[in-house]
Amino acid sequence: MQNNKTPSHDLSDEFLIQNFRDGNTEAFDVLYLRHLPRVYNRVRYVVPENDVEDVTQEIFLAAMKSLASFRGDAKFGTWLRTLTNHKVAEYYRRRARKQEPRLAPLTEAIAQTTGSTSQSLEERIFLQRALQNLPESYREVLLLRFAEEMQFNEIADHTGQNLEAVKSLFRRAVSALRTHLET
Amino acid sequence: MDQETQYTEKDSKLADFTDRLLGGKTAPIASASDEELLHLEQTVLRLTHAFPPDSQRDAKAKQMLVRFKNRVSREETQAVKPSFWKRLFDFHANPQAGLLLAVVTVLILAVVALPFIQPPGSSVSGSAITSGNFYIAAGMILVLLVVYWISHNK
Repeated sequence: MQNNKTPSHDLSDEFLIQNFRDGNTEAFDVLYLRHLPRVYNRVRYVVPENDVEDVTQEIFLAAMKSLASFRGDAKFGTWLRTLTNHKVAEYYRRRARKQEPRLAPLTEAIAQTTGSTSQSLEERIFLQRALQNLPESYREVLLLRFAEEMQFNEIADHTGQNLEAVKSLFRRAVSALRTHLET
Repeated sequence: MDQETQYTEKDSKLADFTDRLLGGKTAPIASASDEELLHLEQTVLRLTHAFPPDSQRDAKAKQMLVRFKNRVSREETQAVKPSFWKRLFDFHANPQAGLLLAVVTVLILAVVALPFIQPPGSSVSGSAITSGNFYIAAGMILVLLVVYWISHNK
C-alpha cells in the first residue's frame, strides 16, 4: 500500500510503525523528523552540548532496533521519552565508569564547543548540573514544560494529575532548582 | 489569606508567567513585594535564556536525519561482516583455505603413519615411534575440526 513510497507526514505514529515493520524504512524517517525536536531538546537540557547529537542518535537507533518489539501499550512518544531517560542515564553511567565528571569540566566543554559564548555555556552547564541533581519528579515536570514545550494541561493528562497539582509541582520544582543554583 | 491559598495563587501566577514567556509574549515580572515569586520568575527567565529555541531547527533536523541514516547503514555493514574464523573456514568463498586444511590434515596423517610404513624386505621395525605421537596428531586433527565446527556455528 504505502510500501516503498515516502509516507505522508499526517499519518499516525501507529500507522508509520506498522509501515516500518512491513519493510518501508522511510516510515521511520517521518517518525524521526516528527519526534526529533522533543527528544533533542530533552537531551540538550541534561547532556553537555558536545554529546547532545550523539546521545540523540543513539536513542533513535535503539528505537529503530526495538520497534519490532514495541507492543503499543503506551503511545510511541511516551515510549520514546522513557527510552530517552534510559539512554541519558546510560550516558552518565558510561561517563562514571570512565571516571569522567558528571558534566565535563567547564574548560573542556568550552574548548570543544563553538557557537556559544563561554558565559552562556557556563550558565547552561550550571543549569544542567542543577537539573541533574533535582529529584526525578521535579526534573521531569521542568523538562516536560521547557524542553518539550508541553502545556500544563497536557502535562496533567500525561501524568494523570489534576492541573492544580501539576502547577504546584512546577512551582516546587522551580524553587528546588533555584536552591540548587544558589548552593 | 491562608497559606494554602497563597501557594495556590503563586502556583497559578508562576504558571501564567511561564506560559507567556514560552509563548513569546511579554511577561511582566512580579513586583518586589512578593520576593519569593520574583525569585521563582527570575529562575524561569534564567532557564529560558540559557536554552533559547533553536531558530534553525528544520535545517538541522534534516542534516541530523542524513547523519542518522549514514550511521544506520554503517552499523548494518558492521553487523553483517563475518568473523575472521568464519571467513577463514568459508570454503565456498575461500577455497584456498579448504585446500590448506586438507594438505595440513594429510601431512599430519603422513607423519603419524610414516613409521608404520616399511619398504618391502626391510628388517628395521618402527619401534621408535610411540603411541604418544599418534595421540598428538589425532589431537591436532581434532582441534582443527573443533575450530571449524565452532566457526560455522557462531
